[in-house]
Amino acid sequence: MKLKKIGALVLAGTMILSSLTACSQKTAEESSSGDAATTTTEEATTSSDGTLTTDNITITMMYSGTATENDFETQVLPKLVQEAFPNITLEVTKLPDDQYYTALKTKLASGEAPDIILLQPKYAGANSIISLAQAGYLEPLTELKAVELGGEAARESYRYGNDVYGIGSGATMLGTYYNKDMFEANGLSVPTNWDEFLNCCQVLQDAGIQPIVMGDKDMYVMQFGLYQIAANQVYADNAAFDDQLRTGETKFTDEGTWDKVLEMYKTLYDKGYIQNSSLGIGAQQAIQKFVDGEAAMTFDGSFNAAAIQASGTVEFERGYFPLPGNDAGEDLYASVAIGGGPGIYSGSKHIDEAKAILELWFDGESDIWKAYVDAGNIVATYGYGSDQVNPLFQTFVDLYNEGKSFYWCNQGWPAGTESEMEALFSEAIGGQGTTVSDIVEGMQLKFQELYTE
Amino acid sequence: MAFFKKKTDREVEKYEKLSPSILAVYIILILFCIIIVAPLVIVVSSSLREASNMKSPLILFSQLTLSSYITAFNQMNYPMQFLNSFMTTGGSVLIVVCIATMAAYPITRIKRPFSKGLYYFFIAGLVIPAQMVIVPVAQMFGRLNIPNTRFTPMIMFITCSLPFSTFLYAGFMKSVPIEIEESAYLDGASLWTRFTRIVFPLLKPATVSTIITQGLWIWNDYFFPMVFISKSSQYSLPVGMIQFLGDRENPAQWNVLFAACVLCALPLIIIFAVLQKQFINGIAAGAVKG
Amino acid sequence: MNRKKKSKNISLVFPNRMYVFALPALLLFCVFWVYPVLQLFYYSITNFNGINYNYDFVGVKNYVTLFKEGTMVNSIKNTLIYAIIIVIGSNLLGISVAMVLNIKIRGKAFFRTCAYLPALFSAIVVGFIWSYVYMPDAGMLSSLMDLVGLDGSKLNLLGNYKTALYAIAIVEIWKSFGTTMIIYLAGLQTVDESLLEAGKIDGCNEWQLIRKVKLPLISSTITINVILNVIAGLKAFDYSFIMTNGGPGKSTNTLMFTIYKIAFTDQMMGKASAFSVISFIVIILITIFMLIFMNKREVEL
Repeated sequence: MKLKKIGALVLAGTMILSSLTACSQKTAEESSSGDAATTTTEEATTSSDGTLTTDNITITMMYSGTATENDFETQVLPKLVQEAFPNITLEVTKLPDDQYYTALKTKLASGEAPDIILLQPKYAGANSIISLAQAGYLEPLTELKAVELGGEAARESYRYGNDVYGIGSGATMLGTYYNKDMFEANGLSVPTNWDEFLNCCQVLQDAGIQPIVMGDKDMYVMQFGLYQIAANQVYADNAAFDDQLRTGETKFTDEGTWDKVLEMYKTLYDKGYIQNSSLGIGAQQAIQKFVDGEAAMTFDGSFNAAAIQASGTVEFERGYFPLPGNDAGEDLYASVAIGGGPGIYSGSKHIDEAKAILELWFDGESDIWKAYVDAGNIVATYGYGSDQVNPLFQTFVDLYNEGKSFYWCNQGWPAGTESEMEALFSEAIGGQGTTVSDIVEGMQLKFQELYTE
Repeated sequence: MAFFKKKTDREVEKYEKLSPSILAVYIILILFCIIIVAPLVIVVSSSLREASNMKSPLILFSQLTLSSYITAFNQMNYPMQFLNSFMTTGGSVLIVVCIATMAAYPITRIKRPFSKGLYYFFIAGLVIPAQMVIVPVAQMFGRLNIPNTRFTPMIMFITCSLPFSTFLYAGFMKSVPIEIEESAYLDGASLWTRFTRIVFPLLKPATVSTIITQGLWIWNDYFFPMVFISKSSQYSLPVGMIQFLGDRENPAQWNVLFAACVLCALPLIIIFAVLQKQFINGIAAGAVKG
Repeated sequence: MNRKKKSKNISLVFPNRMYVFALPALLLFCVFWVYPVLQLFYYSITNFNGINYNYDFVGVKNYVTLFKEGTMVNSIKNTLIYAIIIVIGSNLLGISVAMVLNIKIRGKAFFRTCAYLPALFSAIVVGFIWSYVYMPDAGMLSSLMDLVGLDGSKLNLLGNYKTALYAIAIVEIWKSFGTTMIIYLAGLQTVDESLLEAGKIDGCNEWQLIRKVKLPLISSTITINVILNVIAGLKAFDYSFIMTNGGPGKSTNTLMFTIYKIAFTDQMMGKASAFSVISFIVIILITIFMLIFMNKREVEL
């Protein structure tokens, strides 16, 4: 007993000692991390000579998401990388969104960030390319072939200044999943404008069917419906709305823009088309209710297609259409965005090797790319897989190719604006007396507080 | 051993007779247990389903298969992560018990304002949650060049346990009579001997409480391992578990999540069920009478 | 009294070099806890966003913004309500179960394990399960209500502005009262049987025994538990984070949840630090007040 304790004491002592001796390096460390932004751009020109190490190395990668069976990132990718680069071991960890943001931020603060990290386009989320590139944490990838392949939209989503810092590889979309059997039974077809959509809801409601189920306890799901309407009501008229928000030319409070979007979406709650207990159930539970045939529709993203198609208590055929937020006689726009993609940490010791992995992964024809596309989480826009679109997504891809689509609005706003919108909107539907004009004012205030440039 | 047995025998004799009031106590206790355990039944029943069986988890025991457990077991790399959890929790608790008792000793024994100050200094640490200071803490790790290994989170486990443990030990130490130590002092015992031979054994109830409370949160904590470990092979069980949690773009596979949760709590349940008599006896045996 | 004589004695038996004992703990504590907290004070006067180290000093601007906004008052109010529920609920439940389990009855071990079972599960899963308990229409509670003939379909505890905070507080009590109970059990073990016997001989009934003998004797345990629960309540974060995301609206935004959101979602580390500093002061003040109050009560009892 005594020996054990002394052992523990020694351990504690050495830990403290080692921490103290390292204290002296503090100042040097700090100054070097301060101008990380300037050094990385210099490195970029020198480190692209393409010679890879032949030593055995481990590259770490952190992604957000849930590890499923035969998961692409955590299981398939490391295996394929090992086959292509026998001396490289890829260690992939996956964390749920919120945990991912926290972990990424603290890892960057401690200087031990993974070599490859998941980024979000533009301003979206705490791992947005712009905030990370601004702080000098990202390695420019402009000259990679994979970036070339991704196309202009993908490059635009991952650009900061003159450089591209992340690889956008596929499109993801927001839409309306519907129960085809219920629609047929009630003689309904896919609506093409807002009035038709409201009519659909009314017919279903009259037939005693809950038209739409949403899990607003997870407030982010409000974006799924709102952004689809906004694509039609705000961005179809003014594609540069978000850019002008930053210059102050437009405001959320401008009449006929976001107030209209929120008003339209709120109608669905006022009329009971979306179930009135929505604030008490989670996103997960809402999907379940749809799958169990308890509601005819739900707004969700293409990323949840697998869960939506899982079998429930009743069997029925699922369909997917863009929520028609357009007025009668106007064109329909969809909400389609370049999804998250990998970037490389500028402090990584293995930048060239990490680049080589990304090149192979996103070349459009390698085994890695094929496995990635076959995993079904993205809709490929080039190379293998781009010619065989899931029929569920066909309408969206067509609109995307016609240029009738807009990215998800939060990609254009500093992170936090959308959560203010969600919080205020749930006050409005929760009977707290919050009006639409309160919401847009709140959004505008939050935007101005968060946007600093 | 013999003494132990005798004691339980005596306990058996002392059971209260089945009077109406005792019966009422039983009924209340049983109802109470049902309320407490009901939500956990959902966990167990859902975890016994196929991973693809997404029907409402409130339909109890509709399917009985271990496939979710197998998935969770394999994906978590359970033996490895169990070992990581076991080592970090055990090590942290051991060190905490040692250095917290040591810290509480002068704080309670020396009657000076400085001791009081130290006491409140530690308690002040109790009120700060980890989420609040995690970024500066991470910067400190960066400055001290502490590498990410499976043992790195231990530093924070120990640091965060110190305020509570010191607070608890200081509270219990007040009840250890000074007179015992004074006589030991007169017999020529050194400070260290007094501390290890007299004070520490008398603090057994506090030690048991510390081990239980601190061991529990450390075992269940995913925050520090998540932040300070980069390789999945070094993760502890809770981090392995939150990987099934799901997020905005990835729905949770809650069957597997619940299975993972049961797997994660199982060692604790076993330890508590097996050792609870010892725990409670430990608390009782060390208790200072009067 | 004989205080003078005693203090002379003490300095010999307990010399100042005893403070060396506190050194390991103190070092760890200062390096990894106190220093980072001080750094928060420093960040609170900057516009640091948590990742970009080219930040500016903004003076007291963060504090001014916080006082102007309503968020702070709202989250302090929520946190206080939450803490009060936790303290009362967890302690009442903990102490009564501990007292019952201290009677010599059969199956004690089983009941003890049951009561402690929730504490063994991690908060994430507890939150996840309870959202099914509370789920409207088909959740466990509303199904139960339907079963006994009440209308369960209107029950929407987490989605209602008035009930959400109480609903998550109940989850916290469910999870934590086992720990509280264990500490009370430990305290009750120290109660001398002979005192209870004496009380019985004096003709005290069961309630008087509890009130006049047991409670005063475990008053230091009560202090420990109350303080711990106060702190746990004021630090509330887990269930707002997992079960409600602070919602509906901002009705379950606790201090820590708001700070977390400002720091990690809004990416305003400076403002979050200022908020941390303020809540740090609030929590310390409440804790000190409670400690003084409880210690005084302890003496009175």
